Amino acid sequence: MTDFTHGALYGGGIITVIMTLVALALWGERKMAARMQSRLGPTLVGPFGLLQPVADVLKLLQKEDIVPDEADRVLFNLAPPLGAIGALAVAAVVPFSASIIGADLDAGVLYLLAIGALGVLPVFIAGWGSNNKFALLGAMRAIAQSVSYEVPLVLAALVPVILTGTMKVSAIVEYQAQHHWLIAWPFFLGVPAFVLFMLAMLAESNRIPFDIPEAESELVAGITTEYTGMKFALFYMAEYLHTLIASAVAAALFLGGWDGPFAPGLHWMAAKTLGLFAFVYWVRWTLLRFRSDQLMALCWRWLVPTGVALVLGAALWVVFVG
Amino acid sequence: MAMSPQRTVDTGANFRHPLYQVLLETPGLTVGTAALDDLLTWGLTNAMWIFPMATSCCGIEFMATAASRVDIDRMGVIVRATPRQADVMVVAGTITTKMAPRVLKLWEQMPEPKWCVAMGSCAISGDFYRNLYSVVPGVDTFMPVDVYVPGCPPNPEALMHGMLRLQEKIQRQRRGEVVVPEVNPGLMKVTQPSVPRLTEPTRSPEQTLAQERASDNPTADEESAPLEVAAGPAPQVAPLVGGDFAALLAELGVTELPADGPPVIPLAQHLELARRLKALGYRQLVTMVATHWLAGKGRKGADPAEPEHFELTTAVRTIGPGSKVAAWSVRLAPDEPVLTLSGVFAGADWQEREQFDLLGVRFAGHPDLRRLMQTENATTFPLRRDFPADAPAPPWR
Repeated sequence: MTDFTHGALYGGGIITVIMTLVALALWGERKMAARMQSRLGPTLVGPFGLLQPVADVLKLLQKEDIVPDEADRVLFNLAPPLGAIGALAVAAVVPFSASIIGADLDAGVLYLLAIGALGVLPVFIAGWGSNNKFALLGAMRAIAQSVSYEVPLVLAALVPVILTGTMKVSAIVEYQAQHHWLIAWPFFLGVPAFVLFMLAMLAESNRIPFDIPEAESELVAGITTEYTGMKFALFYMAEYLHTLIASAVAAALFLGGWDGPFAPGLHWMAAKTLGLFAFVYWVRWTLLRFRSDQLMALCWRWLVPTGVALVLGAALWVVFVG
Repeated sequence: MAMSPQRTVDTGANFRHPLYQVLLETPGLTVGTAALDDLLTWGLTNAMWIFPMATSCCGIEFMATAASRVDIDRMGVIVRATPRQADVMVVAGTITTKMAPRVLKLWEQMPEPKWCVAMGSCAISGDFYRNLYSVVPGVDTFMPVDVYVPGCPPNPEALMHGMLRLQEKIQRQRRGEVVVPEVNPGLMKVTQPSVPRLTEPTRSPEQTLAQERASDNPTADEESAPLEVAAGPAPQVAPLVGGDFAALLAELGVTELPADGPPVIPLAQHLELARRLKALGYRQLVTMVATHWLAGKGRKGADPAEPEHFELTTAVRTIGPGSKVAAWSVRLAPDEPVLTLSGVFAGADWQEREQFDLLGVRFAGHPDLRRLMQTENATTFPLRRDFPADAPAPPWR
C-alpha cells in the first residue's frame, strides 16, 4: 500500500465519520431547539425522526438547480464546494486521539488558523457571484466580521502555543496530558483565552449571536439567498462542519483533547467536541443577534485588548514561572 | 394589472429531475426503479420546506402551526425565508392586486418540484374582500394551487391537515395517478360571494340598483339625526379658525367662514395660502383629503344646482405646545388640475399621490404623480361616488 492510498483511505475514513456526525448534528440541533421551545422536533420521519436528515438530502437532490441569469456562473458554482473543502481541510491537523490524526504538522496551529481564515473566501465568492443584493450585503458583513474576529482568534490560539512552546497540535495535547489542561492551570490565562477563542469561533462561523451575515429578518438568507438544492446543502453543511471542527480545535487546545481518565482517548475527544458543539447550539437558540456596530465595538474595544493582554501574560508566565 | 391569458404557469406536477431521468433510463436499473421512486417520493414528502407568503391574520395561525402545540416540524417542515430553498408556498392572507404580480414572481423563483397551499378564505376566494377594488378573488386566479385549507383563519390543526393532504397528493402524483381537484359542492357554495358578481346571470337589476343606492350619499334623515351628547358642561371648543389664520384669509379676500367646516378658498390661492401659513409657523401638513361630490349632491346645505366637483381639504398645524390647526378647502371640477403643495410641505407628496390614485385628482407640478395604492396600470378611481361598490379590479372581474 503506497503512502498515497493509505492517506486517501485514512482521510476518507475521517471525512466519512465527520460527515455522519454532521448529519446527526442536524437532527440533534433540531431536536434540541424544539425541546428548548417546548416542541417535539422531528418525530414522524423514522424512529425519533432520526431519518430526517436523510429525507432532507434526498429532497434537496431532487430539486431543480437554478443559476440566475445575471449571476457569474463560474463563481456561483465554485463557492459551495470551496466552502465545504475549506471547512474539511482544517480537520487534517486535529488529533482525534493519540493515534488518529490526519497530518501531524509541526506548524499545525498556524495551518488551522490559515485555512480557517480562507473560509471567508467562498462566502465572498458566493455573495459576489449571486448578483443578488441580499447575498452581496451578507458577504460584505461576513468579510468585515471574519477579518475583525480573526485577530482575537489568533491571539487566543497563541496562548496555548506560548504556554506549551510548540505549534504542533498533537504536542499541545500531549503537554496537557502530562501536566494540566490549560483551562485548569494557569486558569487565569486558560479560562479567558478559552472564552475568547469560543467567542471568536462563533463569530468566524457566523453563528448566533454573531450571525449578522445571514440575518434572516434583514437579509432573507444572506449569501445563500440564490442557492437551490444541493448547492445550498453544501453551504449549510460547511457551516456545521466549521462549527464542529472549530469545537474540536477548542477542545484540543484548551480542554486537553483526548486526555481523560477511564475511557479511551477517542471517547474523551468526541465527548468534549460534541459538548462544545451542543453549547454552541444552546447559545444559538438562546441569544439574540448583535447589531453590526456593536459587533465591531465588541471585537476591537474588548476582545482584541484582552487577547493582547493574555498573550503578554502568557509570555510573562513562561519567563518567570513556567 | 394586466396579465396576458396566454401565459402558462407550470404546476410542477410532471417535473422530473434530470438525475432521476438518467437513473430511469440506465439499463439494468429497471428492477430497482419502483423502489427508487418510492424512496425519492419519501424524501420529497418528508422534507417539505415552506416559503411563508404570509400577509395577514392567517400568518399568525401559520406561526402557531410552527410553535409548540402543533409543531409542524414533527413532519420535517421548516420555514425558509428565500423562495430558492422552499418546496411549498403557503399563501396565508389577503392578496391584493398590487401584491399578486410579486407573489407570482416569488412562485416562479421557487425551484421545481413545488407546490402551493392556499390557506384561509382570502387566499382561496378573496372572502368578504372579494368584491373590493383592490383584492384578488382567490390566488388560484393567477397561480396553481394544490391544496385549499378553508377557514378564517384556519386553525393550526387545519394547516397541518392540509400539509398531510399535500403529502398524499404528491404520493399519488408520483405513482402516476391523475389527481383531479375534488370539488366539494358545499364548500364551493360557502366561498361564493354574498352578492353575485356583475357578470353573473343570477344578479338581478334590483340588486345592482340597491347597491348603487347603498354606495350613494347618505339620506337627509341620516344626516340630520341628532347626536346623543352626554349632559354636562359644554366643552370648550377652540375656534376652528385661529386669529392669524383668519387675518390671512381676510387678506386673501376670503370673508365667508362656514360654521361646520373649513373655509372654501379660491383655487388660485391654494398654493399661496399654504406658503403664507408655513411662513406663519404652520410647519406640519396634517392631512390632504379629497371628496368627490356628484352633481347636486354636495355636502350638507350645498346648492342643489352645484355641478360634479372635488373638494380638496388640507390641514396644517404648528409644532410644539399650544399647537394651532388651520384647515381649508378648494373646489375643483373633475378634470381641473390643482397646484401641488409638495414644494412647500414634503409630506404632501404621498398624500397627493393617494388622492390621485383613489379619486383621480390631478396635481399640477407634482414631481412623481404615480399610483400609490393600486397597481400602476390601474384604470379605475375606486373612491369616486359613481364607482360601483361591486365593481372589482380588472382582470379578475
